[in-house]
Amino acid sequence: MLEQILCVDDDPITLMLCKKVIVKASFSKEIITSQNGEEALQYFNTLKYANTEHPTKKHPQLIFLDLNMPVMGGWEFLDHFNSLEFSEFKNIKVIVLSSTIDPEDIEKSKTYPMVIDFLSKPITSTMLEYLKNKL
Amino acid sequence: MKNKTNQITLTYILISLFVAIICHKLLQNSTYDTNYQNYNFIKDLLFITFTGIAYKLILSKNDNRNSEIFEKLKNTNDEIKESNEKYDIVAKATSDTIWDWKIQEDSLTWNKGIEVIFGYSQDEVGSSSTWWFEKIHPEDSIKMSIKLYSFIEQKTENWQDQYRFKCANGSYKYVLDRGFLLKDEEGKAIRMIGAIQDITKQKEEEQRLKLLETVITQSKDSIIITEADSKNTRIPKIIYVNPAFSIMSGYHSDEIIGKTPNIFKGPNSDQQEYKKLISALKKKQECLIETISYKKNKEEYWVRFSMVPVYNTENELSHWVSIQRDVSEEKKQEKEKEQLIRELTQNNKDLKQFSYITSHNLRAPLSNLTGLLNLIEDIPIENQELSEIINGFSKSTHLLNDTINDLVKVIIIKDNPSIKKEDVPLNEIFENVFSQLSFQIELHKPIIKLNFEKVSVLNTNKAYFESILINLLTNSLKYKSESRKLKITITANQTDDTVYLIFKDNGIGIDLERNRDKVFGLYQRFHNYPDSKGLGLYLVKSQVETMGGTISIDSEVNKGTTFTLTFKNKQ
Repeated sequence: MLEQILCVDDDPITLMLCKKVIVKASFSKEIITSQNGEEALQYFNTLKYANTEHPTKKHPQLIFLDLNMPVMGGWEFLDHFNSLEFSEFKNIKVIVLSSTIDPEDIEKSKTYPMVIDFLSKPITSTMLEYLKNKL
Repeated sequence: MKNKTNQITLTYILISLFVAIICHKLLQNSTYDTNYQNYNFIKDLLFITFTGIAYKLILSKNDNRNSEIFEKLKNTNDEIKESNEKYDIVAKATSDTIWDWKIQEDSLTWNKGIEVIFGYSQDEVGSSSTWWFEKIHPEDSIKMSIKLYSFIEQKTENWQDQYRFKCANGSYKYVLDRGFLLKDEEGKAIRMIGAIQDITKQKEEEQRLKLLETVITQSKDSIIITEADSKNTRIPKIIYVNPAFSIMSGYHSDEIIGKTPNIFKGPNSDQQEYKKLISALKKKQECLIETISYKKNKEEYWVRFSMVPVYNTENELSHWVSIQRDVSEEKKQEKEKEQLIRELTQNNKDLKQFSYITSHNLRAPLSNLTGLLNLIEDIPIENQELSEIINGFSKSTHLLNDTINDLVKVIIIKDNPSIKKEDVPLNEIFENVFSQLSFQIELHKPIIKLNFEKVSVLNTNKAYFESILINLLTNSLKYKSESRKLKITITANQTDDTVYLIFKDNGIGIDLERNRDKVFGLYQRFHNYPDSKGLGLYLVKSQVETMGGTISIDSEVNKGTTFTLTFKNKQ
């Protein structure tokens, strides 16, 4: 079981579904959510400052990331998250969880080293079993 | 001569002396005055002497004159003889045909040329001018005779004419005839001598050149000929332009000859293309360029023109020939076409993007519904009615999900024109397909005959090919006849590199009379079955065509359906 995961999605129903399925499958102890990329980055920024004071503070081990979101989408988030600014989080794995069918999106996701998979919504317990084995 | 004069003088003196002596003797007998007799005799002798001398002088003078005249005559005679000999030699040696016409007697004689060149034997040749005139081509004879008679009547200075002269074999030769007149003391023409030259070859060459020239003068393409040497002007001077060029550019030929083609250049001309032209000129290589050019009125037009070097017999560059064409219309169309393609590409891209966004926006809430329904499955529901409602809700959601997933497949196929192909064994594919459909096959227990020994391996996209077979098989299972056992026959054949896959069933069939155009259409349904969406055959056709194949259908209501698929199988 993971300690902490982050779900980034603008749709509250999706987030609710994620929480329920993850809890049910005992995939992670703690689930943090963000409504878009910017919120997620803010969360990591606060983590950065907190870490300087309390180095033991934990951070998410895995991110479920949607692509289409207002304010800041998934790609933009990945671009920032991939930069030196967040280099201390480079061990965090990202799963793109989207409804897209555009083959270009799948190709694009492969260019980011932290993205380990591209999965189609909805999140299911089978999917989480598969991820458990993969991680 | 001198002797003769002396002889005559001497004879005269002797006779005169003899007469004088006789007269003296007679006088001696009749008179006695001896003094008078002697005096008379001496007077006679003196007279004889004087007359003799005078006589001799006159004679010898006459004689001299005579001899001079004789000398002159002799010379003239020699000259005529020599001239005649020369004439004979020339007449024999020349390739021309010489004629000699005594006009008053109307008698015409010909040299051997009439035989050698025109093929008339001596006895065929007439002796009057009529024979000559008869042999002249009817179209030329009037014009020729007018010119000839006006010369004979000395209205014109000299005479030469071209006409067609008939040969012995009936064909005509082009000739150049030149003649001169001989006149008598009164200046009247009495004789005419002429020389006929065979110019058929020159004339034919001339006509051939004229014909070739029409290519230039009649051509719709503009043709320019320039000098070879480019010197300082860089592009050599123009020495000829054809009429089409004047029409195209608006420049009259005398305005442009001596100028260089630089004057067609303007602000919008393509500098790169001109550089290409200049470097080709330097290297004496032919080239083809396209640029904007300027007419006399400064109007722009697109011109495509070639520059071809022309070499003389010494293999030196003598001229450049340039063929030019106004391609403004072509260029305009090309531009419009490019614009259209750009617009279409953009439209296509927009539509594709639209379909992705639409499907994304549809799929996002749908995935939530599916996810939520998955959660409900684990929660026990006591209320019977609620259970039914949720059940219906679940079925509809899954149906919607299937439909959207099918549509997504279509979008992806359409967006994927070049797909990966591999060599796949046919039996492996069929095993796969049958295992996927094992439940339905088990349910209906159809008779399936497979016959593909002839084609063991197919170069194809495995996923597509399986999807095609699954669609066709489920259709056969779905639309089987209730009154007879379902029988499916699948045959594969190959001729050259084309594989024919024949898929035959004995199901309820499709009424092709009514539906031929719609069979492979999107959302076309021919039977009212609950789980039929009208998508299967559309998908099949899309997938077949994406792989470069074809599909055709033959069907009869209540007999069955046969699909024939063809694929290119690379060896």
